Order: sequence, then C-alpha cells, then structure tokens
Amino acid sequence: MASITDLMTHDHRECDEVFARIEQAVSKGDWDGAATALRAFTEALEAHFGAEENTLFPSFEAATGMTDGPTRMMRMEHAEMRRGLEAMQDALARKDADDLSGEAETLLILMQQHNMKEENILYPMCDGHLSGQAATLAPRLKDQLKGSAV
Amino acid sequence: MTPSAGHALGYDAAPALSAPLRFFVTAPLFGVVAGLMLLVHPELLESRWTPGALALTHLVTVGFMLMVMVGALFQILPVVAGAVLPATRVLATIVHGLLGSGAIALVWGLAAMQPVALTAAVWLLGSGFATFVAAAAYALVRAPVPQATPRDLRLALIALTIAILLGLTLAMILTGELALPLFPLLKLHVGWAWLGGVGTLLAATSWVVVPMFQITPPYPQVLTRFWAMSAVGLLVLWSAAVLGGFPLLESALAVALALVAGVFIVTTLHLQRRSRRSTPDTTFRAFQLGMGSLIGGILCVLAAHHLDHAAWAVLAGVLILHGGFVSIMLGMLYKIVPFLAWLHLTQDKIKAPNMKKLQPDQPVRRQFHTHVGAFVLLIAAALAATNGLTMFGRLAGLIVMVEFGWLAWNILKVLRAYQRARST
Repeated sequence: MASITDLMTHDHRECDEVFARIEQAVSKGDWDGAATALRAFTEALEAHFGAEENTLFPSFEAATGMTDGPTRMMRMEHAEMRRGLEAMQDALARKDADDLSGEAETLLILMQQHNMKEENILYPMCDGHLSGQAATLAPRLKDQLKGSAV
Repeated sequence: MTPSAGHALGYDAAPALSAPLRFFVTAPLFGVVAGLMLLVHPELLESRWTPGALALTHLVTVGFMLMVMVGALFQILPVVAGAVLPATRVLATIVHGLLGSGAIALVWGLAAMQPVALTAAVWLLGSGFATFVAAAAYALVRAPVPQATPRDLRLALIALTIAILLGLTLAMILTGELALPLFPLLKLHVGWAWLGGVGTLLAATSWVVVPMFQITPPYPQVLTRFWAMSAVGLLVLWSAAVLGGFPLLESALAVALALVAGVFIVTTLHLQRRSRRSTPDTTFRAFQLGMGSLIGGILCVLAAHHLDHAAWAVLAGVLILHGGFVSIMLGMLYKIVPFLAWLHLTQDKIKAPNMKKLQPDQPVRRQFHTHVGAFVLLIAAALAATNGLTMFGRLAGLIVMVEFGWLAWNILKVLRAYQRARST
C-alpha cells in the first residue's frame, strides 16, 4: 500500500503539471485557455489543501497532540498560496501577461519550498505517527484528492 | 517527535535575510578582483602552475563559489532537511567574516607566495569552515526526521570538508610547515573539490530543484539512490590509486569518474529538455550552459591527462569553473535572492511586490549575456595565452569584471526594492 508520503507527493507533482498549463497558455496569448487552466489549478490546489486541512492534519494533531506545531505552519503557508492564487486571478482578469508571469513565478517557488518541507519532513512524520490508521486514512485522502482530478 | 519540529517547518526557522545575503553580496566582489587580476596580468592563463594562476583560481573557487555555497546552505538546510542552524545571525557573521578574510589571505598568499598570508589563510578558512560544518552537523542531528535528511547533502558536506582539509594541507606544504609530496595531494584536492564537494552538492540540489522548479519528470531512482555514493566511493578508490602510485589504475578510475559525472550531466540536460515550463528563463539557460560546459571541461581534463599541451588544463579550469559552476550558481542566485526578499517581506506582513517586480528580467538577461561573452573570451584567452598572445586575456579580464560587478549590482537592486517595500 502506498505511504502517505508517496500519495501526497504524487499529488504535488500532478498540481505542478496543471500549473505548467497556465504558463503555456499565457505564452501563446491564449487567455481563455489560461483561464481554464488557472481554474483547474485552483481546484487541484484546493482539493490538496482540503485533504490536508480536513483529514491529514487533524489526524496528525490528534495522534501527536501537537496543534501548534508543524501543521499550523503549513496552514499558514496554504493561506499565503491562496493569496498568490488571487493575485494570479487578478492579473489574468487584467490580461497583464508580465504581472501574471511574475505572480506565477512567485507562487511556484513558494509552493515548491512548501512542498519540500512537507515531502521531506511532515509527510514522513505522518507516516511514522499514523501507521496504525494508514488502511483507512490513505483511501480517504485519495478520494479527496481525486475530487479534483483534472 | 521533537519539540523543534514545528519550529523547523515554520517561517521562523528561515534565517534572517542578512544571513545568506551577506555571502551573496560579497561573493561577486571576488569575481571582480579576479577580472582585474586578469586584466593586469593576462599572461596568467599561460599555465595553471604559476602563483598568479593559483590565486586567480581561488578567487573564483573560494571567494565566489564557496561563499555562494555556504550562503545557500544557510537557507537550504532548514527547508530541505528541517535542520535549523543555531544562532544563525551570529553564526553567519562569524563564518562570513572568517571565510571572507581567509579567502583574501589565501589569494594574497598564493599570488605572492607569502608564507605568513598562507598560514593566516589556513587558520581563517579552517576555523570558518569548521564552525559552519560543526553547526550544520549539530542541526542535522537534531532535525525532526533525521532519516529524511537528504543523504547526498550530507555526503556533499563531507566531501567538501575533505577538499578543504586537503587544501589546507597543501597551503601548509607551501609554507614549509608540512613535509609531504605536493603533487599527489594537489590532484586529490582538485578531484575532491570538483566532483566530491561541488559536484555532489550540485547533484543533491538538482535531484530536488530540477523536477520541482523546472517541472520535469523526476530523475531515475537509480541516480538519486546510487549516484552520489558511487561518485564518492570511486573518489576514495581513485585517491588510494593516486597515493599508492598505481598510474594505470589511477587513469582507469579517472575515466570512470568522468563517466559518472557525465551520466549526471547528460540526464539533467535530457530532463530539462522535457521541462513543462513554457519559456526558458535565465536560470534555465544558465543551467544548460553550465551542464554543457562541464562536459567540455571533463573532456579537457581527460585530454590534459594524456596530452602535454598546457592549454588543456587551463581550458578545463575555464570550462568547469567559469562556464560550469559559476553559470549554475548565477542561475540559482537569480531565483534565491528575489524569493528571499519576497519571503521576508511577506513574513513581516508587508505586501510584497512579486518576484519579477523585485528583480526584473531584463538586467538579469543582460548580465547573463555578459557572462556568456566573458566565457567565450576566456576560452579564446586560454587558447591564445599558450601562444604568448595576451590581448584576449586582457579583454576577458575586463568583461569578467563587468560581469561580476553587474551581478553584485543586480543583487543590490533587489535589496533596494526590498527596502523600498518596507518603507512604504
């Protein structure tokens, strides 16, 4: 059975793919395509955040008693990324390619340094602490991530 | 579970902006001095063995490259490994001061073959790097998920430490404090520095950075699992062959090392060709130039082993150091610096301009084109110098000065935009 680390890391890479579609559309001047891709990316990201904030993090917090620990930091970074998404949506509405590319670049780096922390530190900690619940937790996470399949 | 886990993941684990930035701002100044030195003494490229050529090499390797690597590690260790360096602000000030002054002493000592300066360099660089490695080791041991610490990052730190210890030994041989054979140890120093220290650090970083930031397929597992171990293992065998005086085995192992390095480079170039990002930016181009140049450099190293002409070794140095590692570090700096400025503004609840507003594309692209120009001139200078032609060397020196000065200026401009955002 796939570990939490594998499952969630795989979903990070799926989100990256959708992100790339936005940039590709903008570089071709295809604003409709960019809008569609940005919507898909927002959905994929929200599904991922949702699976973490509603299922994975609460399980981790319940198992470790740490509510003020790493999960709080990750939630704060999610909020930062949601602001980044809004800035991208705003630039897209104005059809400002330069601004959109600057906001996209910023969000990508923010997102990837967040992903590194989760993949290298938090997910392995989850695998360690939640091994007893893996059989029920993994399918639930999978369902929530799949809700966004694009 | 350790109580430091939350801390390790948080914004608050990120070191003060000044910790990595002090290294990034001062590193290019050593490049400017390297250019100036070449402008005044273009004949330095005639042979790698002259004191001036050794000084020039270390302006780039210790003054620029080591400074950039240590500065970047201050930032990378908390993010990638959850390793929080203790008292980062004080630590960065001390390490930066010792490494910076040590680099100056080393370059002066090599250029003038001045024993007092070389001895000072041994102490300054030795204590500066030892302080950093001790702090990094302490942080890695206390990381919340020790087994998740990228193993290759630890290997790179060990290999870099070996390269520096070999360098310090060489300096002590030059001052007469140690009576050991110079040439075999010099070979080991170069091998451990290039492939062991910088090469393994580059690979350990690339496993993560290339797929994530350039949105490429992942590296094959066989590479991420075994490459760094094989490279370092082969380096150990090769070192034994060098020290034991087995020239045939040494040559065979040198070819094996070149092949191992080649596999990493070719795989990286192949993955980058499959990047899903639409427009290749300067960082992408710099990475590609760097990887291509490293291949050329490795071929020159092999040629220098078998052919007698002095130009091969000088060309290898130009291709590996300037075209290879400096290009890649340029590319990384242009991502790290604006992102850190953005991150620290955001962390302080200040509305941060996006990365491209903090660091517009155009000056970055122009600086990179200057770097490419300097690289081409350096190749021409290396070829011409052995024929006694110095004109290209002078010109290359001038453009190298411009290139590194411009890099420092571009970094300072990001800091100015950062200050402006803070004050509004």
